[in-house]
Amino acid sequence: MSELVVSRLHAGYARLEVLHGLDLTVGAGELVAVIGANGAGKTTLLRTLSGLIRPSAGEVRLGSGQMAGVPAEKLAARGIAHVPENRLVFPTLTVQDNLALGAYARGRSGRADLTADRTRVLELFPRLRDRMHQVAGTLSGGEQQMLAIGRGLMARPTLLLLDEPSLGLAPKIVTEIFVALTRLRDDDNLSILLVEQNARAAFKVANRAYVMDRGRIAMEGSPANLLDDPRVHAAYLGGGYTADPTKTPS
Amino acid sequence: MTDFLQLTFAGVSVGAVYALIAIGFVAIFTVSQVINLAQGEFAAMAGLFAISATASGLPLVPAVILAVVSVAVVAVVMERVVIAPVRRMTTLTSIVLTLGVSTALKAALLLIYGPDAEGLTPFSEGLIDIGGVTIRAHELWILAVAAVVCAAVYWFYERTLTGKSLRACAEQPVAARLVGISLGRASLLSFLIAGVTGAIAGVLASPVTFTSWESGLTLGLKGFVAATLGGLVSMRGAIIGGVVLGVLESLTAGYIDTGLRDAVAFLLLIVVLVVRPAGIFGAQVEARV
Amino acid sequence: MESSGGRLPAAGAPPRRITGWRSRRGDLIGLLVLIAFLALMPFVVSGFWVNVAVYALIYSVAAIGLTLLMGLAGQVSLGHAGFFAIGAYTQAVLVTKYGTNSLVASVVAVAVTMAAAVLVGLPLLRLRGHYFALATLGFGIIVSVVATESDFLGATSGIFGIEKPTFNARTYDSATEYLLLLGPVVVIGLLLARNVVQSRIGRALGAVNDSEVAAESLGVNAYRLRLQVLVLSAAYAAVAGTAFAHWLAVVNPNAANFPLSIKFLLISVLGGLGTVWGAVVGALAVEGLDEGLGRLIPKVVPGATGEVELIGFGIALTAVVIFLPGGIHQAWSALVSRLRRPGHPPAESNGGQAAPVADAPSTGEPLLSRSDRPERGTVLLETSGLTQRFGGVVAVDDVTFSVAAGEILALIGPNGAGKTTLFNMVSGVLTPTSGTVTVSGRRIEGRKPHVFAQARATRTFQNLQIFASMTVLGNVMVGRHLRSRAGLMRSALVVPALGEEQAIEADARRLVEVVGLGEDADRFAADLPFGRQRLVEVARALATEPDLLLLDEPMAGLSGPERRELARLLAQLRDSGIGIVLVEHDVDAVLALADRVAVLDDGELIALGTPREIRHDPAVIAAYLGVEEDDELAVELSSTESAGEA
Repeated sequence: MSELVVSRLHAGYARLEVLHGLDLTVGAGELVAVIGANGAGKTTLLRTLSGLIRPSAGEVRLGSGQMAGVPAEKLAARGIAHVPENRLVFPTLTVQDNLALGAYARGRSGRADLTADRTRVLELFPRLRDRMHQVAGTLSGGEQQMLAIGRGLMARPTLLLLDEPSLGLAPKIVTEIFVALTRLRDDDNLSILLVEQNARAAFKVANRAYVMDRGRIAMEGSPANLLDDPRVHAAYLGGGYTADPTKTPS
Repeated sequence: MTDFLQLTFAGVSVGAVYALIAIGFVAIFTVSQVINLAQGEFAAMAGLFAISATASGLPLVPAVILAVVSVAVVAVVMERVVIAPVRRMTTLTSIVLTLGVSTALKAALLLIYGPDAEGLTPFSEGLIDIGGVTIRAHELWILAVAAVVCAAVYWFYERTLTGKSLRACAEQPVAARLVGISLGRASLLSFLIAGVTGAIAGVLASPVTFTSWESGLTLGLKGFVAATLGGLVSMRGAIIGGVVLGVLESLTAGYIDTGLRDAVAFLLLIVVLVVRPAGIFGAQVEARV
Repeated sequence: MESSGGRLPAAGAPPRRITGWRSRRGDLIGLLVLIAFLALMPFVVSGFWVNVAVYALIYSVAAIGLTLLMGLAGQVSLGHAGFFAIGAYTQAVLVTKYGTNSLVASVVAVAVTMAAAVLVGLPLLRLRGHYFALATLGFGIIVSVVATESDFLGATSGIFGIEKPTFNARTYDSATEYLLLLGPVVVIGLLLARNVVQSRIGRALGAVNDSEVAAESLGVNAYRLRLQVLVLSAAYAAVAGTAFAHWLAVVNPNAANFPLSIKFLLISVLGGLGTVWGAVVGALAVEGLDEGLGRLIPKVVPGATGEVELIGFGIALTAVVIFLPGGIHQAWSALVSRLRRPGHPPAESNGGQAAPVADAPSTGEPLLSRSDRPERGTVLLETSGLTQRFGGVVAVDDVTFSVAAGEILALIGPNGAGKTTLFNMVSGVLTPTSGTVTVSGRRIEGRKPHVFAQARATRTFQNLQIFASMTVLGNVMVGRHLRSRAGLMRSALVVPALGEEQAIEADARRLVEVVGLGEDADRFAADLPFGRQRLVEVARALATEPDLLLLDEPMAGLSGPERRELARLLAQLRDSGIGIVLVEHDVDAVLALADRVAVLDDGELIALGTPREIRHDPAVIAAYLGVEEDDELAVELSSTESAGEA
């Protein structure tokens, strides 16, 4: 149905290659987390998957379609929705307009009736209900994040990419958002690739997780195993740092 | 007092023309950060096309429509041929580039139409007297048409999804791409709008100020000054800016010296840029860190 | 200055900027060709074309100044004819109305124009690039209007009856004689301009073009340098204007008109903004084009009058920007590099002298021992209540800390915590919403980065700000800007600044060795791997001889051994009395190296202490790995799961 398979992906910017042959998969209805230190290439990964960056080599397969090298404008119609870092809502447009534009790629006929999609978004994020006619730039950080996710959902994607949604948000809001993500996975069978710095929260909702280090996948496994693995701490936080204050650093 | 009202009214009507040209600048700049120095040429071309169309027998209304459509086509072709191919466009590059186009267009107009200035037939002839102030009937047409166009522009950007998609491109180009909006198409559309509003400005102005191959320079620059009063990003600011500029010019020419008319625009430009680059009526530019 | 190394800008790239010349040899050849051309020309072609050449030379002088302004200072001027006209009118008025000697008058004309440039530049150079360009357009038109309206200046008729110049009882009134007169002027103009490009000033401006924020943080006052170049370019325009006045014998408002400004623009752009030679080549090409079109168009379109050749200018300008942004110079360079054999020795670096480094005098060991460095423990940096708001978001919230000489303070915290914003506020890149920053006793919050540098403090950048047009050595030489003094005058004359240039290069080479980049010194900085580019930034920062150093993730992208090397260097610097603030994500390395650690989370300083204290601080652990309230998340999840199953 909608399985994402990434093989030997190389990508980067003008002179600098950031992803050095990266492989990962996201199964249908799976929520997969990607964590890693700053500079590991997590954002570059998502930007390559959503078509903002053209890969120099490798394959990106979603379901039966080849996606590598397809520009972002066209990928929106092919089932990939990317909720970017810093949310990037359209600040002078209302919540309602932001959501409507989220469905832009579905074309005129697809946009004929957005009621069902809007209802679903408001179900997941009731905070937006009273703010439909509020200008997006005046929303709080958490509300903007919800709006950005809602906007992504309006495209009826098969794969949802999220870039650090918890950044700068209070724990309570992070909880609301992550719960919504699990509902999307469980009820709507949506495949979700979640890039996060907040490893703990991400691991609580993920089926599987990857740890990225300098442009490659360093480790893969179930969240339970990874969280206590000292090698994760090494790759992620720099060697020797441990979460347990009673343990001395190695 | 009558003098003052007379001058002010004349200023408002020429200011309406500036406002229409200014809308074109804002439309393009917000979407692609391009400053289109050929905007004035759109107005001059439309005026000259309409004049020659009526001269060869076409009635006024079809001639005007033909002129506007032709200029719209030119604007779109310009975007495709000159703007779209440039991969790393900066605002400065766009200035030099569109300056080249504007120069070539000017000279082409000179070649085709010769050096003399001519005026289009006014939409309505005659003068009207309102409370001691004499105004040309055509000037009422200018105000009416300009108002309609401004309303249409407002409706487009505030009430249609396409218009909102253009605003989205301007505000968050990355997110706009992610929802499927094509920046190239948006640029094309913005040039179309600029061509249409510029052309309408040109046919409205022609009966009053006369059009020649050179008209584009002053019209374009004054429209730019008006747009700057809105920080180049605010339609409302551009429209207000146009009217303000027109009135200031008219009052200066009337009370101080007609020769200084053109200098007003540039003095105003420099003052605004130095004192408040975000424009007097524009929003404060938020630092995007 | 470093040569462009054969790299060509991509189609549609912005107008190419000056990066310098191929080599001294190239200049010499060019000069000889030009002189030969001017000497032989009158004998080979008809008087008509000699006439054209005179116009070309006059315009080329103005264009040299414009190329400096656009290519070096990065400012587009659309009203340069305004300065040209001011020079021309001043000359005309002085010579006809006051009977002034023509040489004396030209000196005055140049001075007046330079003063006008100062008046124009002071307010306008604060504007962002495209606004400056359009303001100059306005300036040109204002000059034109004033000339047309002023009776003193002859209104539309202008001033006429300007006599041809007379030197040593010989009147220069034929085209050939004028060519003779102009030749040396152009040659000297070229030499002075080229000297400026290759000097400390040229290097600093090149750096500003590559990364204004980095150049400023090294102490380069971009605004002041741009103003100087604007005034210089106005001087060139004025010289051209005086020559024009005498040649034409009439000066009218056409000397300030818009088509002339466009012609100057085309000359510079067509010739190529990558070199001052472009002005001369461009002028010859454009005048040739002008004449050619003037003959061609009336044949194609009978009865065509007026400035129809503008159509050619417009098309040429557009085409050059789209297809050949580097102008003729770009095409020429491409040709030359194709003909060049592989293994050709690399171009000389800026100020490159044949003398080996060992012989060159240096300012002593700039790095490790400065005699007047503050004592260990002296407070170098103090912030108090620093806050930054962006709209509704508080990025940095009431941060207070201090850094002393001879210590390393590490600044850590999760992504988005505000570390780089804090650096930006301290170093002058951002103006704080509230709070104070004091460096060595001087309050500098809200001041520009070069003020920070003047206070003996500097920084590196999280998003690399390498000067991409320069070699590693060139980058580091920019760092010596504050420790050298040669201004525009000395730079133009070269000889007075020679000793200083050699010292700058020697010092830079030493620094490059110290950070371990010795073998890469003459490579283009942008060709180095990411991690080693960071070292370039460090060397560059050290070149300013700072007391206080802010480093933003200097280790990102470095391999293990490279990190250890850098850590060792930093410890050495600390021991020599420098104060260092270090942002790093390699928490382990940081905790081993730092004397004190400050932890930022969500804009707030949540901990400040020794590495040992920080390591065990529960607030810090929570900030990095996720808050304990995640258990709330667990509760929520279990409740939704059971609800779903029901």
